[in-house]
Parts: sequence; C-alpha cells; structure tokens
Amino acid sequence: METWQILEYVAWGVSALLGLYMVIDWMKVDSSYSEDVLTSSREGELEAMTEEQHR
Amino acid sequence: MAHYEPPKQGKASQLFDVIVLVILTVGALFVPLWLGMAGAAKIVAEPVDSPTWESLGQTAAQAAQYEALGYDPASAHDLILARFDYSFSAGALIAMIVVIVLYYVLMLKFSEVEYREVIAEKFGDRR
Amino acid sequence: MADIDITSQTMDGMGPHGTKVGLLRVLGPAHVWALGVGIVLVGEYMGWNFAVGKGGAYAALIACWFAGILYTCVAMIDSEVTSTVAAAGGQYTQAKHIVGPLMAFNVGLYLVFAYTMLEAANAITAGYLISVVAGMTGYAGELDQRPFIILVIMFLAWLNYRGVLATLTFNLVITAIAFLAILVLFLSTSGILGGGIMQHTALFEGHEMPYGWIGVLAAMHFGLWYYLGIEGTTQAAEEVRSPARALPFGTLAGIMTLLIAATLTWYVCSGVLPWEFLGDGVNGSVAPLFDTARLSGSNGLIWLLGFGTLFATLASANGCINDASRAWFAMGRDKYLPGWFGAVHPRYRTPYRSIIFLVPIALIFALGAPLDQVITFSILSGLLEYTFMPLNIIMFRRKWPLNSIKRGYEHPFHPLPAVTLLALCALTFFAVFLGYGTQLVAMIGFYIVVSLWFHFWRYRFVNRGAQFTMPWPKPQGY
Repeated sequence: METWQILEYVAWGVSALLGLYMVIDWMKVDSSYSEDVLTSSREGELEAMTEEQHR
Repeated sequence: MAHYEPPKQGKASQLFDVIVLVILTVGALFVPLWLGMAGAAKIVAEPVDSPTWESLGQTAAQAAQYEALGYDPASAHDLILARFDYSFSAGALIAMIVVIVLYYVLMLKFSEVEYREVIAEKFGDRR
Repeated sequence: MADIDITSQTMDGMGPHGTKVGLLRVLGPAHVWALGVGIVLVGEYMGWNFAVGKGGAYAALIACWFAGILYTCVAMIDSEVTSTVAAAGGQYTQAKHIVGPLMAFNVGLYLVFAYTMLEAANAITAGYLISVVAGMTGYAGELDQRPFIILVIMFLAWLNYRGVLATLTFNLVITAIAFLAILVLFLSTSGILGGGIMQHTALFEGHEMPYGWIGVLAAMHFGLWYYLGIEGTTQAAEEVRSPARALPFGTLAGIMTLLIAATLTWYVCSGVLPWEFLGDGVNGSVAPLFDTARLSGSNGLIWLLGFGTLFATLASANGCINDASRAWFAMGRDKYLPGWFGAVHPRYRTPYRSIIFLVPIALIFALGAPLDQVITFSILSGLLEYTFMPLNIIMFRRKWPLNSIKRGYEHPFHPLPAVTLLALCALTFFAVFLGYGTQLVAMIGFYIVVSLWFHFWRYRFVNRGAQFTMPWPKPQGY
C-alpha cells in the first residue's frame, strides 16, 4: 500500500476521532450542567458592569 | 406600553425551526445549480483548427510562460480562447434593481415597526 | 468604558444580568489582527485571480484598489460602531440596536452564510493543495480529497471548541507566516534581491484590456475577494480584553496589511503568469502565488508558498468557524434562533453547540458544490452586508449624534465614506449581475422568504425591550 493511501485512511480516522470527541464532550456537558447555567450568557455584560459602577 | 412576554419554545418546535432554516439555506445554493441556471460559463466562440501560439494570439514571451507551465498550443487552446459573454438585456437589469431595492425597502419597513416596539418597551412610552 | 477592570478574573463573564457562564475575555489587539487578516489573506492565495479572468490584469488591479476603497470605508464605519457596540455577533448586534430586529436577523444570516461558505471554499482549496503535493511527491493514483477536506473542517472545529485563545494564537502564527511568504516571494522575484523574473510589459502585450471597460466593472465582483472577511474582527468583541481600543486598532491595522498584500500579490502574479491562465481559477491557476513560485525555479520558494497557501486556507477556515459560530450563538442567545444555541461551554467558554451545528453545514457545501459557486455565495452575502453598513452608520449618527454617546473611535469625513461605500456596492451588484444574475436573485429570494418567516413566526419568541442591551440614551426621533 502506498503512503498516500495510508494517509487517506489516517485522515478519515482522525476526522472521526475529533468528531467523536466533540460529540461525547457535548453529551457529557449537556447532562452534567443544567440548561439554565449553560444558556445564562447575556449580551452587554461589560456595558452593564460599567453602568452599575457609574450609578 | 405593555410588557411583552414571549412564549417558551419547546424542544420539538426549536428543532423544527432549525430544519426549516437548513432546508431554505441548502435550497438557495443548490436549486440554481440543479436547474442549470448557474451562469457565468466561459465559451470558446471561435475555435482555431490545429492551433499554434501565433494563431492563439500569443507572443514569444507569453508562449514561453505557457510552455514553462507545461502547456502546448493544443492543450492551452480552450484555456486561452474561452471568453465570458457580458451581453445582458435591459429588462433583466431593471428586474434586478427592482428586486434589490424592494428587498431593502421591505426590510427597513418591517425593522422600523419592530424597532419602535423595542424602544417603547425599553425606554417607556413618554412622548 | 472608563475605569473598570474588565480583565478581573472574579468578575469575568459574570455580570449583573445573571450570566453564570460567559465567553472568556482573553484576547489582545494582535489576536484581532490575526482574526481579521487570517480570514482574508487566503484571498490573495486563491480566488482573487477570477477577477483577472473577468477583465484582464489591469482590470484586476483597478478592481483591487476600488475594492480597497470599499473596504477602507467598511473598516472605518465598522470601527466606529463596534467601538461602541462591543458584543459577540458584531454587525448583527449593531443592526439590532440601530436599525431594527428584522434587519439584524438578516445581517446575522449574511454573516453566517458568508463565513460558512468561505470556510467551505478554504477546505476545498486545502484538499486540492494536498492532492497537488501528492502528485509532486510521485503518487501515481488519484488522491481522494474528501478525507482531507473533512479533516480540515473537523480539526479546526475541534480547535475552536477547545477555546478561543489557543484558536486565535494558532491563527496569529500561521497568518504571520503566510504574510511573510508573500513578502519573501515579492522580494526574491521582483529583482530587489537577486534576479527578477517580472515581465509585465511582455505578458500584457496585446491583452491589456481583453473585454474593454465593461471587464473592469465585471472584475469588481471578485475584487472583493482580496479583502472579504476583514469585517469579521467585530465578532471577537466579547472576548477581547479592551474592545473599545483593540477592535479599531486591529481592524485598521488589518486593512492596511491587506492593501499591501493584495497589491504585491497582483504585482508578482501578473508579472509571471499569462492572464488567461491566471484568470481561470478552475482549469488554470487555482493557487496563483504557488504557481508563481513554481515558475521561479526555486525549490525553497515552492515549498514556502506551498505552506503559505495551506496555512492561509487553514487560518481562514479557522477564523470563519470562530466568526460564524459567534454570530449564530448571539442570535440563539436573543432567541432569534432557537435558544438552545445560546449555550456556552462551562469549561472551554466557547459557544460549543453553535460550533458543532455548523460543522455538517460546512461539510455539505465543501463536498457538494463547485468552488466558484461557493465563492460567489460568500461574496453575495458579504455584499448585502456592506450595503447595510452605510444605512447603519447614517442611522447611528442620526439617532445618537456624536455628543450623545462616547465612541472609542470616530471616523472622519462622515457621510463621505457611507456614500462612497453605497456607490461602490451598487457598482459591485452590477458586476455580479453580469455573470451571476440568477444566483443574485435566488439569494435575495431566499432572504425575502426567511425575512417573512422571521417577522411572522420566529419573532414571537424574542423579548422586546430586553434585547436592547447597550446603556445608551433613548434614540433621537422616538
């Protein structure tokens, strides 16, 4: 088998591993944190902090 | 103005919205491709029989570069002679202008309606 | 933004509105530069040369400079607005505060579209490049490019998933190498160091303006490609340590870098490659700088520009994943899209669901559509966005005149840049119409349909007053 053919299989394999890593991590995070915490980010926090300080 | 309380969206409904968006997106790209309307193909209008660099309109310096790139007159024939066709009809141009202007007008109008509501709720309706 | 320590670790990402997990503020101006230039620099390595095909070498240079003016206006306008609106989502958030929700929704989609398409184009080019390397190293068979295209997208998505600092530091390094490669190529082929191989006069002879002036107009279409994506710097706003300073600085330094890189690229490529070959990015010169290096006869240059091209495509795809996911995330956070997307990874502090969701979308385009179509869709989305910008700045100055809110940067000569930008956009619409009228109409048709969908269905899930998050006074005229 030629080097480049091996590289093709390696590329398929690494892609699958990276994809698998993300999906598994995603599932783990989603099941161990509540949805409220995960989606608690709000726009304009910096501005709001500045505003509070000047009040 | 009364405070607007948006409804909570369920999981299934969220998923459905995403699917709708994806279908629309993929459709916008691939429908013109499938219908074969994706224009901008180059056409060789006047092919040259048994081409030489001269008959392809290339000077010695230009021919030398083509040879350095690995071409001969026969293999470079289509590459060199293919041209775009920029002719268009006034009707199509007007149609395009109308579509674009209409799109922005529509957008600004709807946005303005929604924006007034946002400002009224955020700053209170004191005028 | 006065005297608050936004780098404070205890307050970081946890503001009074109740954010428990927010994006991490870790980036400096160099990262902003790397994000902006990184996305765009690939445009010098591939794609811009379609402009040569559209109107000849001179047309491409004129288009390069006119597009440069267009983007200078974009960068100036963008810097002013974004130095005031510092939030992930960039132009989307600007539109939401200045023009209105529907416009914001459209702008958000332009961003995601432009970047995801560009990401797909980059992956296609990287795959092609690897197949060329395989050929050069003596591989006889036909290399299957798909696993490499997928690997590029997967690897960069993974990098983005793991954290923004590593992602953009990686971008800074490879972008710097790609930029230096252009400089080295220019110095060593133009005759400044060693023998020059430039023969502009001989190569242009008889082909100065192959289509006449209409070709110059048509070239504007791909002239945008020299700079497309520089406006993406604003997406980092929520992750930059001091946005009011770093964003204008990084953006304006970025556009200057690109003006230099674009002109040098045109100079070396058009001085070595005949225009018919250079201008055909599909059958002729897919990677013009690399082809120029091949004709220089120097093995060192070939490898340098080969790596430069690969790095440029990676840097660009990387930045695109970063920007598209920020825009998608910001829209999810506001419920413009399902709220599920507005989640932040508690450990890596990235919009992880948006990053994952956009991977298959990018793959569909990278594996399913031809390069010039993908580029055209990216350019069209960008063009619609640039048309929105002058409207945005005019309304911004009208609703909040200069003395009403403090801006980190004020652009000069208003409204001249806005008017210039609008005029150049109109010109570019005409250029796109000349070759790709059908796609233009299909694209706008798409935006009209989704706009109606948003206005009549989706918008009911959005909080009205709460989406206006900037601490600004009430706009004038309301």
